[in-house]
Amino acid sequence: MSGDDSSVASDGGVTAGESTAGLGRLFPTGFRTLFHREVLRFLRRPRNTFLPPAITNVLYFSVFGVILGGRIDSFALGGREIEYIAFILPGLIVLGAISNAFENSSFSIFHGRWNEYIHEVLTSPLPYSSMVLAYILSSALRGLIVGVIIGLIGLLFTSVPVSRPLYLGAFMLVICLLFASFGVVGGLWARDFDYLTVLNQFILRPLVFFGGVFYSLDALDGLAYTVSLLNPMVYMVNGVRFGFFGAAELPPNESLVVLSVLTLAVVALNVELFRRGYGLVD
Amino acid sequence: MTLAIRARNLVKEYDDVRALDGLDISVEAGEFFGLLGPNGAGKTTFINILVGLAHRTDGEAAVFGHDVGDEYQQARDAIGLAPQEYNVDRFFPIQEVLEHKAGYHGIASGEATRRAEEALKTVGIYEKRDTRFDWLSGGMKRRFMLARALVSDPDLLILDEPTAGVDVQLRRDLWGVINRMNDTGTTILLTTHYIEEAERLCDRVAIVDEGRKVEEASPDELMDRGTDRISVSTRSTPATAPDLDLPDIHDARVDDGELVVTAARGSSVVPDLLRQLEAAGYTVTEVDIERASLEEVFVDVTRTESAVEA
Repeated sequence: MSGDDSSVASDGGVTAGESTAGLGRLFPTGFRTLFHREVLRFLRRPRNTFLPPAITNVLYFSVFGVILGGRIDSFALGGREIEYIAFILPGLIVLGAISNAFENSSFSIFHGRWNEYIHEVLTSPLPYSSMVLAYILSSALRGLIVGVIIGLIGLLFTSVPVSRPLYLGAFMLVICLLFASFGVVGGLWARDFDYLTVLNQFILRPLVFFGGVFYSLDALDGLAYTVSLLNPMVYMVNGVRFGFFGAAELPPNESLVVLSVLTLAVVALNVELFRRGYGLVD
Repeated sequence: MTLAIRARNLVKEYDDVRALDGLDISVEAGEFFGLLGPNGAGKTTFINILVGLAHRTDGEAAVFGHDVGDEYQQARDAIGLAPQEYNVDRFFPIQEVLEHKAGYHGIASGEATRRAEEALKTVGIYEKRDTRFDWLSGGMKRRFMLARALVSDPDLLILDEPTAGVDVQLRRDLWGVINRMNDTGTTILLTTHYIEEAERLCDRVAIVDEGRKVEEASPDELMDRGTDRISVSTRSTPATAPDLDLPDIHDARVDDGELVVTAARGSSVVPDLLRQLEAAGYTVTEVDIERASLEEVFVDVTRTESAVEA
C-alpha cells in the first residue's frame, strides 16, 4: 500500500507519512499532484495555451480599439470619460479568461476520457472533491494568467486605472472558477470533440459578445436591455469594469454574490457528477 | 485469514445485458489467484467494479474489508492495476506519469520519484524514463503498465491480461516480476487467456462464464478433474482394446500399435490398469501418462456451462 501507515484521510488522501498539519492537511499530496499535473499540462504548451489569446487580443485591440475605436465617442462611466479602447479592455479580459478556463477543464477531462487516461485518477484513492477541485483550480489559474496577459497587451495600446483592485481580483477569480466548473460539466457531458466546439462557439462566445464587451448597456433600450440583464456575462463584464474604473452600470456587490453562489452550486454539481461517475464510469 | 477480495452475489447490468450474474469470489491475502473465462465472461467488469471504473448493480464487493463504494479511498489505495487496454497519459514522459500515479496515492514528491525510478528499473525500462508512452515499443508498453501498477507498492496487484501479445522471453520476465511481488506478500489477481500462465503461477483459479463462477480450485485439482491420456506399449500389439474393468476409465483403444487409455486421475489408475493387462496376458514394455491440461479442463467446463444454458 502507498503509505507507511497505510491510512487514507477522509479529507483527501493523506498517506505515506505525510504531515497532516498546515498546508498538507488543506491541500493533501494527492490533490497537489493532480493540480500540479494539470498546471504543467498548459504551462508546457504555451504555443497552444497562451500564444493564441495573445495574438487574438493584439488583433482585437488593433482593429476594434485603434482603427474602429478612434471613430467611436468616448463613454461616460461614473462621471468619467473613458475612451473606447479602454472601455473594451475589461470585456476582452473576461472573454479570454473565461474561454481559457472553460477550455482547459473541458478539454482536459474530455481528452482524458477519450484516451481513458483519466482512469489513472479515477482508480486512485483521491476523494472526488479533490479530483474536481484540482481540475477547477488549475483551469481557473490558466484563465487568470490569460487575463493578465490580455491586460498587459492592453497596456501597450492604452492606459487604464485599477481603481478597485480587490473587486477586480474577486470578480476575476470567481468568473474563472465558474467557467472552469462549467468546463468540467462540458468535459463530462461531451461524447465527441464536436460537443466542445458547440459549447464554446455556439453558447459561450455569443453570450460573451452580447454581454456588453464591446458596447455599453446604455446603448440598449427596452426589450434588448431587459434581455441583456438575463445574460450572466453582463454581470461579469460589468464587475471587472468596476474593478478597473471604480464605476459600473450595474451594482457590483449583488453581482459578486450571485456569481459566487452560482460558482459554489456548479462546483457541488461537479463533485456529485464525479461521485455518480457521470460520463466517467460504466 | 484476511480476505483481499470478497465479492458476494455481485451483479452488474448494462441495460438488458447482465455482465455479472451473482458472482461470488473470495481471494485470501497473499494468494496468487487466477480468473479465467472466455471473452465476455465478466472478468474485466469484475475488476472495474473493484477499482471504481464501474458501479455494481447489486451485491457486495470489498477489498481488504473496505467496501468498494462506501470506502472507495481505502479500497483503491490498496490496489495496483495493470489493465488490458493502454490508458496512459501521453502528455508526460513515463517517469513523470509514475510520479503522478504515486502522488495520487499520497506519496510525497521525493519518495514518488524514488519509487518511479525503482519501478522502471524493476521492469527493465529505466533507460526510457524520459520517453513518452507512445514512443515505447509494444513490449515496453506492457512493462510500463506493470510498473505503473507497482509504483504505489500495492497490497493487491490486479493484472488484466498482463502478457497479452508479448513474446515468450518478455512473458517470462514479467512472470518473474509478478512472482517476486507475490513472494513478498502482495496478493495477485490475474486474468489471462494463456492457460499455461495460470497453471504455472496461480495458487487457485476460478473459471467464470456468463457472469458466474462455474469452478474454483487449485490448478492441480482442476487438472485432476480432467481426462488424462495413458499410452501403454506391449510386447505383442493387441488387435483390439482389451476389456478393462476400472471405474475411472473413459475409453480404451488401439492407436498406432499402442493401447491408448483415457481416464480421470491417470496416475492412480495406472497400477490397476497394468495388473489387468498382465492378467490378460500382455507384457507391458512402456507406460506414458499425459496429464490433462488446465486448458482442456477450461474448455470442458465452459462448454458444459454453455450446453446447460442451451
